[in-house]
Amino acid sequence: MEALFFNVDSGYLEGVVRGYKGGILTQSHYANLTQCETIEDFRMQLGSTDYGNFLANESLPISTSTIADKATQILVEQFHYMRSNAVEPLSKFLDYMTYAYMIDNVVLLITGTLHERDTHELLERCHPLGIFDTMPALCVATNVEELYQSVLVETPLAPYFRECLSASDLDDLNIEIIRNTLYKAYLEDFHRFCMSLGGPTADNMSRLLEFEADRRTINITINSFNTELTKEQRAKLFPAIGRLYPEGNNALAKADDIDQVRQVCDNVPEYRPFFDSAGSARSRPNGSSLVVEDDGDALAVASALEDRFFAMEVHLNKLAFLQQFQYGVFYSYIKLKEHEIRSLTWIAECIAQDARERIQDFIPIF
Amino acid sequence: MGHDGYPSLFRSEQMSLVQFFIPTEVAHDTVSELGELGDVQFKDLNPDVNPFQRSFVAEIRRVDEMSRRVRFFATQIEKEKDKIPVRPLYDSVPLVTVGPRVAQTIDELEVKLADHEHRLIQMNESYQTMSERTRELVEARHVLRETAVFFDRAQGHESEIRASLDDSSQPLLAHDDREAQFSSGAISFDLEFVAGTIDRTRLSTFERILWRVLRGNLYMNHTDIAEPFVDPVTQGETRKNVFIIFAHGEVLLAKIRKVAESMGATLYPIDPNAERRHEALKDVQGRLEDLQTVLYNTGATRREELVRIGESLSSWQDLVRKEKIIYETLNYFNYDARRKTLIAEGWCPTRDIIPIQLALRHATEESGTSVPPILQEIRTNKKPPTFHRTNKFTEGYQTIIDSYGIATYQEVNPGLFTVITFPFLFAVMFGDIGHGFIIFVAAILMILAERKMAKSDLGEIIGTFFYGRYIILLMGVFSMFTGLMYNDIFSKSLHIWRSGWDFSDPQHGTPNGHVYPFGLDPAWHGADNALVFTNSYKMKMSIIIGVIHMTFAICLQVPNHLHFKRPFNIYAEFIPQILFLQSIFGYLVVCIILKWTTDWSKAPTQPPGLLNMLIYMFLSPGYVKAEERLFAGQSILQILLLLVALVCVPWMLCVKPYMAWKEMKAHEGDGYGRLGLGDDVNGELIAEEEGEGQLVAEQMEDQEEHHDFGEVVIHQVIHTIEFCLGCISNTASYLRLWALSLAHAQLSEVLWSMTLESFLSPSGVFGFIALIIMGIVWFTLTVFILCVMEGLSAFLHALRLHWVEANGKHYEAGGYAFQPLTFANLDENA
Repeated sequence: MEALFFNVDSGYLEGVVRGYKGGILTQSHYANLTQCETIEDFRMQLGSTDYGNFLANESLPISTSTIADKATQILVEQFHYMRSNAVEPLSKFLDYMTYAYMIDNVVLLITGTLHERDTHELLERCHPLGIFDTMPALCVATNVEELYQSVLVETPLAPYFRECLSASDLDDLNIEIIRNTLYKAYLEDFHRFCMSLGGPTADNMSRLLEFEADRRTINITINSFNTELTKEQRAKLFPAIGRLYPEGNNALAKADDIDQVRQVCDNVPEYRPFFDSAGSARSRPNGSSLVVEDDGDALAVASALEDRFFAMEVHLNKLAFLQQFQYGVFYSYIKLKEHEIRSLTWIAECIAQDARERIQDFIPIF
Repeated sequence: MGHDGYPSLFRSEQMSLVQFFIPTEVAHDTVSELGELGDVQFKDLNPDVNPFQRSFVAEIRRVDEMSRRVRFFATQIEKEKDKIPVRPLYDSVPLVTVGPRVAQTIDELEVKLADHEHRLIQMNESYQTMSERTRELVEARHVLRETAVFFDRAQGHESEIRASLDDSSQPLLAHDDREAQFSSGAISFDLEFVAGTIDRTRLSTFERILWRVLRGNLYMNHTDIAEPFVDPVTQGETRKNVFIIFAHGEVLLAKIRKVAESMGATLYPIDPNAERRHEALKDVQGRLEDLQTVLYNTGATRREELVRIGESLSSWQDLVRKEKIIYETLNYFNYDARRKTLIAEGWCPTRDIIPIQLALRHATEESGTSVPPILQEIRTNKKPPTFHRTNKFTEGYQTIIDSYGIATYQEVNPGLFTVITFPFLFAVMFGDIGHGFIIFVAAILMILAERKMAKSDLGEIIGTFFYGRYIILLMGVFSMFTGLMYNDIFSKSLHIWRSGWDFSDPQHGTPNGHVYPFGLDPAWHGADNALVFTNSYKMKMSIIIGVIHMTFAICLQVPNHLHFKRPFNIYAEFIPQILFLQSIFGYLVVCIILKWTTDWSKAPTQPPGLLNMLIYMFLSPGYVKAEERLFAGQSILQILLLLVALVCVPWMLCVKPYMAWKEMKAHEGDGYGRLGLGDDVNGELIAEEEGEGQLVAEQMEDQEEHHDFGEVVIHQVIHTIEFCLGCISNTASYLRLWALSLAHAQLSEVLWSMTLESFLSPSGVFGFIALIIMGIVWFTLTVFILCVMEGLSAFLHALRLHWVEANGKHYEAGGYAFQPLTFANLDENA
């Protein structure tokens, strides 16, 4: 059915986003990029891709952060183009996508203020997709109540924030709790919204969002080992969606070490390999060496896990493009492009610091 | 072509693959010379090498840096409010781009550019800091003035404030203190405040946040600053507001300051004391004046610098662009083993080899060395590019064909015939002497002003018309001709010769023995059955023109088959096709002419309907009703023609595949088998899915073209079906000639009768004024609706008839265009 009417409102934008997707760098581009000797070569190499001469007017030398900024700027422009051409419900969908960045920005600002960083510097570091009008005022807040009353009450994040009001002080732990509570509420809300859209959008987005939720659940569990976070508090932070929910989440809430996490993940066939090779193998399948010192060393496992999560995310996002007439492509495009920018920055960084042996440690998309 | 030595449009230019051996020291000058000549298309000899691993990357990077600087100057000059003159290229002193001194020139230029850039950036910076400072001072002045106004007003209300203070529930003791203070006569009141400026767009958010943060415990006042602030770098305008906020308590004030800072507001310390404020204002005023003089001087020097840059900017731009192209071309070249000579390969027209050799010699002389580059022609089986040598007249017509597809190398070029057929088919639809004359005059004007217009930038729409000016010229001429044939001038008719009809009885015309010698008899104009007559006439004419056009297009296959040495195709394709077309539609044309030439008023039978005749030729072959017979023996002839057409279908379908099959058998008999290549298909598909289709395509290209028998069969089946059905639908498609011609004639008649006709016999002054106004309206509408709009529509249909109906019959269009290295249109791609 969606094929009948989808194109009336969103056909153009889907075409646009698929065209954008065609511009995502491929394996052969990366092969060329990793051979670059200097950042100038890097710029020249990017000149033949869809990035074009986005760095042409930068005077030498170019820093890697400039590259990341400029690339993000292109992404943001594309996003704004799509957002301003979108109609309901796609526009709402795109708005939902920005909430995640808003949460990140809010947390960044609060943390920064807490550690007495310069406000302007903080504002510059905020992700441009998550900027909202009253954001600068975040830095005056000293407790959660004030934060909510003075700033967040009029942002879309307000409903997510009510959960956090119980926390009174702003300290590092509480901020982390706030972030995760916000994210939980956000993911659940976004999931609900996508379900209400129905059709292939719901299918694709539930797959993506459930993975995101599981990833957060596992990360929270692993990161909360040996911290003062109680198990009840931990359980409250888990999003109530995902393939691990509810049994897996319950088990994770009680987990004490990484082995228990692995047991939980074994129940989901797709997640099984995350831990299998993370625990036993000493190198990643694509040949880069990421040495895991000790099987019980949670930190090393976690960092290997992170890479695997990224690879999985890229894979899932690629799958979203196989189906037409659904909004998942917009979400996936932005996610993939972020990966690309991350990879580009990594390569540029490796070139700049002359760390050739690590240059292959990025996740190629196509 | 080719034999007589003159270039022609009939076939594309004969091309040669040539190899150059260029000593390294003359390489630059050689490429520069060849670029000026614009006659060689260089091949990339190192396609596998990364762009940054090529030999001349360092030079390219240097040129890139120079072009970045030049671009920087250009944007700086553009941004300047008062226009800075940029001396056009043809007026500038040319920079030496060849010869032994070229390296030095470029070195000097690089230093000069860096110098200019350095100076400009420095000046920009100081200008910027100073304007920043000025802006702050201006803002401070505004804040001082506005707050002064506010304080003045507040002072007027002082008593009320005091009263309100009295009312508040303050401790009584403190109250006494205050009372004492006030009564001591000090006019200062101790409300604390923050004052500053903020971007107007952010004001409302700012106010809202403050209100929320302070829970309403503030008093805010703000006014607009009338003039905008201009950013010296981006030239963007920002509008700001002055605000002053009163609040009580250090904590709240600190909060306000923090919010204000994070919202991008600028705060200014203002003293509550009126006298000190006044002093501060004076101080600010004084500093502002000083700063403005300095600022003006800096601006003037900066402008001077820019003017100096503008003097030679365009020659720099030109040089940088040329250098970049030269080095990019040099990157295509290979080094020989000893790295003393560069080897280049490229295509050039065979007849131009001598001028190219001359250019090479010239380059050697220029560079002052004695080792000339060597040019050698090499034999190849690669497909050369297609190059049609056009002039300003034929260029437009060739573009019409090229936009359908670039001709296969040495294929018969339909562009040559388009020169006449295109304007002619257009004119059949656009037949009107008046309208034709208007577009003819327009084209003549454009051609007369050709030189001037070519130099100026015309914009996209006018530019397109200008590009097609010679097409428009011929379209106008032919439209006047067909207008004469239709006897149509602005929907009226011309009485040149004596009409063949008398109207003694106004209802019926009687023939008077005269024959109108040329075109349509004007007596038809206004007759009741005029439309019936012209419709029938134009419809049949369209069919005749269409069949002739298609026959001609099919015939163009013959020179192709002969030239490419495949005479077999003449028997397998050309002959059955032409027989098929002629036996059905050729016959129809003959019948049309027969029907026209018969005097039906004296014939024993009624004139037969030709459409039905054609239909029944298929439905009931061999039977023609006696009263509809056109000539004796018609039924026998029709059976014969039908049989011929029927035979042609299997002929077209089978002969070619059969011959291919026989050839293959012969090959296999000689012991050549096919090699299986099924293994990587899956891998390739996956790779393609992953977006690496490009690589795969390149690999496929390298394989020798593979003759698959199944492919030949399928191709032939499609081709046959397409041709047979195409014959019918294409013939019908030519009826658009009639339809558009009819629409055009009707539209112009409607326009005439609705605007001008009723005002033609004016009475009194108002009558004349109305006539003039209506005349203008009529003429404007004639030009815009009938000439431009209808003209575009007729153009479009003529285009389609050429692309689909004619080109489809013979034009392979499988070539690629010749794109020589040239400096001629640098501006467009830079």
